[in-house]
This record gives sequence, C-alpha cells and structure tokens, in this order.
Amino acid sequence: MAKLRQISWAVVVDGRTLWTRNAVPKYSQYGEQLRRFKGVEYRRWDPTRSKLGAGLSRARNTQYDLLPNPGDTCLYLGAGHGTSLSHLHDHVCGNNNEKEGRIIAIDLSPRCLRDLVYLEKIRPGLVPILGDARNSSSWRMMLPTKVDWLLQDVSQADQAEIFIDAAKKFLKKGGKGLLSLKAASERFDASGDKIIFTKVRNQLEHSGMVVNEQIDLHGLEDNHCLFFTTMK
Amino acid sequence: MWLWYDWRSAAIADAEGNILDLEEWDGWKSTDSVISRLEIIAHSALTPEAKRLSERFPDAIPLIHGDPGLPDANWPLPSSEAMKSLDKAAIILSKRGVDSAAGDPDRRLEHILKATDELRAAWITIEGRLVEWVGLFLPEARFEKDRSSLATTVSNSESLSDLATNLEIGMPPVGPTPEEWKAIVDWSTSVSEIKTRVDKMETVVREISLEHMPSLSKLLGPILAARLCVEAHGRMRLARLPAGTLQILGAEKAFFNHLKTGAPSPKHGHIFMHPWISRSPKWVRGKIARMVAAKASIAARCDAFGGELWGDEIIESVANKVELLRTENSKPPRR
Repeated sequence: MAKLRQISWAVVVDGRTLWTRNAVPKYSQYGEQLRRFKGVEYRRWDPTRSKLGAGLSRARNTQYDLLPNPGDTCLYLGAGHGTSLSHLHDHVCGNNNEKEGRIIAIDLSPRCLRDLVYLEKIRPGLVPILGDARNSSSWRMMLPTKVDWLLQDVSQADQAEIFIDAAKKFLKKGGKGLLSLKAASERFDASGDKIIFTKVRNQLEHSGMVVNEQIDLHGLEDNHCLFFTTMK
Repeated sequence: MWLWYDWRSAAIADAEGNILDLEEWDGWKSTDSVISRLEIIAHSALTPEAKRLSERFPDAIPLIHGDPGLPDANWPLPSSEAMKSLDKAAIILSKRGVDSAAGDPDRRLEHILKATDELRAAWITIEGRLVEWVGLFLPEARFEKDRSSLATTVSNSESLSDLATNLEIGMPPVGPTPEEWKAIVDWSTSVSEIKTRVDKMETVVREISLEHMPSLSKLLGPILAARLCVEAHGRMRLARLPAGTLQILGAEKAFFNHLKTGAPSPKHGHIFMHPWISRSPKWVRGKIARMVAAKASIAARCDAFGGELWGDEIIESVANKVELLRTENSKPPRR
C-alpha cells in the first residue's frame, strides 16, 4: 500500500487516488468506492467526475491551499448534480455538519436541484438554491457577509465575466476563488484552447485577482482549465 | 443619505456611515414569513421596514445590502440563528421551484415526444420482423399494398392454415410447430398493442402542443411544432432563435459538416417533414423552407410572448405564397 498523505482533516491521497472522509457513513453518493483507512470510512473522489477533484489531483504547488478551511462559508456556482459538492461537504461540514460550515450551492436547472435538495436532507450545511449564477439579485440575501471560498463551474459563455462579477460581490479580501473554465463554451478560437486560457488569465489579473495556479485538466476533463485565484 | 435594507432589517445612514435610524423585524423565527420576505426581495421590492423608514426619510436613497453604492457602515447583520432560519426558508423555496418544474409544458412535451419517438422506432423494427416471419412460412403472401391489418389478422388466426385462408393464399407443406406459432401470435399481439400506444401518445403530444403553441401548431401541425420546440429546448428559446436557425433545426450534423468542410449547407431540418417542403420539387424546397421558417419564427414569437392567435386567413396566405413559389419555379434551373 502506498503511503497515505493527508491534505486536510478529511482529504487524503493514497498514491494517486483522492479520498474524502465520508460524512454519511456507508452511503455511496454516485457509485464511488468506499474504503476504510484506520477504521474510518472514506469515499473515493473520482477526478474524471469532478473538476474540483481533477484540479486537486493535478495541482503542482497549491494542492494544500486549494480547498477552503473546514467550517468556512462557501459559494458554489453551478453545483450540478452534487458530485463535487458531496466531497466538498465532506471536507467543509463533515458528519452532521460537525464543522459548522455553510455551502451555498446555486444551479439553474430544476433537474439538478432535485438531486441537490435530496442531498441537503442527508448532508446538513448545504443550502441548494434554484437560481441563475449570472443574476445574483435573487440569491444575494443568502450572503450577508462575504464568503471565504468560491467555486464556479458553469458551462456557458462569459464564464470569466460571471466569475469576476461574483468574486467582486461575494468574495472576501484574501478569499480563494476557483474558476473551472470550459474552453468549448467560449467563442470559438481557431488558435486553440491555450489562447483562450491565456486570455482569461489576463482578464482575471486585470480585475485585481492573483492567479496562484492555472491547472490544466487535460486527460481528466478535456478542454478544461481550473484557475486558482486569490482576491486582492 | 442612504436607506440600507436586507431581508430582516432596514437602516438609515449618512455619507459617513453613521446609522441614524433602524427598524428590525423579529418575525424571522417563522419559516413561512421568511419565505414571503425572500419573495419580496427577489422581486426587488421594499420590505415593510424599509417602507416605514422611507416614509420617515423621503430623501434617503434605498439600496439593498451589498450594493456597491452604499457607504461603509456597521450594518445590523442577522444573527446566526436568523441565518439558520433563512437557510431553512431558502431550501423550502428551492423545493418549491423543483416542484413547479413539473408544470412546465416544455419539459412535459420533451418527455412525451421523445418517448413516442422511441416507441415508434421499436414498433417499426418488430413490425418489420413480423412481416418477414409470416413471409417465411407463407411465401405467397404479399404485403406491399397494405400491411396495417396484418398484426390483427395474425393474432385472430387459430393456426397458419387459418391465416392462409384469411389472407386468401395457398398453404405451403412446411409449417411452424404449435409453440412456434404461438410465439408468432404473441409477437403480432405486441405489434398491434404498441401501435395503439404510439397513436395514443401522439394524441397527447398534439393536445399539449396545441395548448402550448397554438399559432405554430396551426401553421406547421402540432407534432412538427412540438418537435421544433423540443429541439430548441423550450418555447422561449425557440422564439428567440433567428428564422435561419429554425429552418435547419434538426439538421445539425449537416450544418456543422458544412461549417467544417465547406460542403453545401442544409436547406431544411425537421421542417422538411411538412408537406409544403417534402412534397415540393427538390429545387424549390430551399426557397420554401426559408419562407416557411420565417413565418414559423413569427408564429413561435406570437405564442411565446402572448401575441395574437393566428387565424385561418394568415395560414391561407402562407399556403398561397408556397403555391406561388412552386409555380414561379416550376422548371428545374438550367446548369
């Protein structure tokens, strides 16, 4: 057995695989493998199913900084069916929200919200909201204070603009902002995805954010890039 | 002077951020009242507290919490218990949103139309097999003219010779075993059963489509209207599409091949199913498709934005235009 490496209280790396401490024991969220390490049950974090997981396994220098602190308030735009969200919850909230975290998960699709509302029942600390990431007026009252951590994973045009807008409105100074960028959702550029990624990077830096690392997810999630930024 | 407010309280502050007056709402312990509060805020209306303060300070500019135009001040933010109550209310609101998705005709139409397509595809395969199967045992049987009644005829026949008599043909020397014949009869029963179900489902599609898109259904027929709506992912999106996109909806493969390789662009997508186009000579189909798509686009907008219902005379004028295009281009173009 490869040596275990602890990334946080709830996340460990075993060789190349990521595992999170299961906040809902004996319950596999999306068919992922369950396994015990030293008597505690962990869920396998599939990097091909979750862009956050992919970013975490691909990060070179920032692996230990990428995730929020347990108990933080987090904003997740484009939560989807809750795959990444469940692992994030394992880390931020834990079993029965022992860490007292709060994750606001926004998604536009009622189909996704159906899964998220169900997820909320077994994972307290989540707040699923049916709303548009682009139009914050319908959910801004959920965040009277700014958040510590922001993740955006929406596959629509102007992803970078939405992210910058959300970060300015809701991210604390020094807070961490993660943007998962899908090149195929941006206007087609014949010169390739790399140019799109560079453009977005410049855009982020111009709007007062520090890009700590630009993580290429090629191989796990094609044409995707995860930007890890900090709010200045 | 500024009037600051959030879902729970409202305050008046001057430009330096000194709070001059404050109104707080203590009804946040009841989740139901928090839900109605959230609905007020989501519609960008003022809360009762903000209204009261705005009467007291008419020149204060009301801005919601978090607005960049507000000065920095020590705003009275909700306590953590109030936030818990807010979270509960938000979750209930999300649940309601999910529940109300069931009332969305776009989604209902999508399921029933796709289900109909799948069932029809299944029917075509098993019906084809029935014809071949019967044809194997009765080589004299011919189904080219009409095979719609074959399934019922087979399931009403006692044996192969009985079927041969029903079809008025001779009986070959080799026949199926009794169990094999039973399998054929069962097969034919499911063929006719599935056909009935497909027909019933199409009736439902027609009903929903006529209700949801009356004008477009009148112009193109309810099934085609439903298909366009599903392909565009909803009535609203369909209405916002340009007519050129509507024209080639359903021909995406050909269209992107055209963009990629420079092959000729598709002239029509699903809209081809309409007899105005499919029954026209090949060389005018593009012209007619363009015209009909433009009209259909207007009809879709009338349906989506609550416009006037299209009457028979508009449909007739479109039909006349189609006829005109056909007569104007009655001969194939010379190369």
